[in-house]
Amino acid sequence: MKISVWTLPILVVVALFGGYLLRTAVAIPTTTVGTTQATGAKLECVVSGVKCKGTAAFFTSLYEGVDGVLAIETFATEHKAVFTYDPARISPDDIEKVMEQEVLLNDGSRVQVFECLSRQEM
Amino acid sequence: MVVRYVRYSLLFILTVLVVSLALGYGSRSFEAYCPFGGAESLWGLYTVGEFSCALGPLNLSLLVAVVGLTLVSKKSFCGWACPIGFASELLGRLGGRVLGTQWRPGPRLDQVLRLIRYPVLVAFLYLTYKSGELILRGYDPFYLIFSGFGHGSAGAVSYYVLGALIMGALLIPMFFCRYLCPLGAVLDPFSRLGWIKVARNATTCTDCGICQTACPHDIPVQRVDYVRSRDCTNCAECIEACPEEGVLTLRAAGWRKP
Repeated sequence: MKISVWTLPILVVVALFGGYLLRTAVAIPTTTVGTTQATGAKLECVVSGVKCKGTAAFFTSLYEGVDGVLAIETFATEHKAVFTYDPARISPDDIEKVMEQEVLLNDGSRVQVFECLSRQEM
Repeated sequence: MVVRYVRYSLLFILTVLVVSLALGYGSRSFEAYCPFGGAESLWGLYTVGEFSCALGPLNLSLLVAVVGLTLVSKKSFCGWACPIGFASELLGRLGGRVLGTQWRPGPRLDQVLRLIRYPVLVAFLYLTYKSGELILRGYDPFYLIFSGFGHGSAGAVSYYVLGALIMGALLIPMFFCRYLCPLGAVLDPFSRLGWIKVARNATTCTDCGICQTACPHDIPVQRVDYVRSRDCTNCAECIEACPEEGVLTLRAAGWRKP
């Protein structure tokens, strides 16, 4: 069966668009800390600085021992973190403060590594 | 020439989209849009259920889409969507203009050189799986160009690598795509099956060989009835170059050997 050459760009665009839509079928986080099935409120933050698995792991390490944070999922490609937290023990403002704290680097300097660009309570 | 302009327009639009992502527009990193990242993430997903380094679901879904596209229309992604393929083709045309001609390795040497992409693929996958990091970023032209030699590049070595790839593209048509591209190696078996192929009418063909000269991948179209070559991108350059009306056409020839 003869096919028009113009079918090709249509096929390419459809495939790429289909691939883009298909991404939601595999919503696997870059890192997961805690029990995401825990009941609690959800907070989604877009965080500048969460770029890869390493930075995501460092990001979640900031919340070690922070009371009220039950679970954190990070999505590096979307620079996103989803918190499951107990609103009776910690507020979204406090969660934001933790990520925006200055951290001590090996050279002794203190810098702010992460910044919450936007947040949404879910 | 009309098909080429349409193809270049689509390639240009997609390249601009990747550049805009690299400049920070959009919610994702430009690396998230590389289908090869999907291949790099497969082992990590299988073993620990996590993506490696900066890879994510979009890499995987685009890999699935590109494999599907390849099963339907051979390596159309390479010829119609890949920014690196676009850059290679433009550099090849520039090299041809400036140098007068480009070096086309003989068929035997060409076939041997085309095998290099398999060890390249194995090296990329093995080192990514082993380290959990995109450890060969510093040698990947897609990353080097669009990140502007960003985090993970290998200093001066990265400049030498990109310089060598540019020189290669100027001297040999589609140098990187033909001999080194690991995504091309992933797509090879699917491309052999490709449902839509260029077909040649042997009774009206004059065997002039203009089609092979026009082919960016130097495929001897004038010697086959259907182009089954794994390197064919269905770019339609051969169809446009053929001086005889209706000799070369695109046909849905099926997945099996016609």
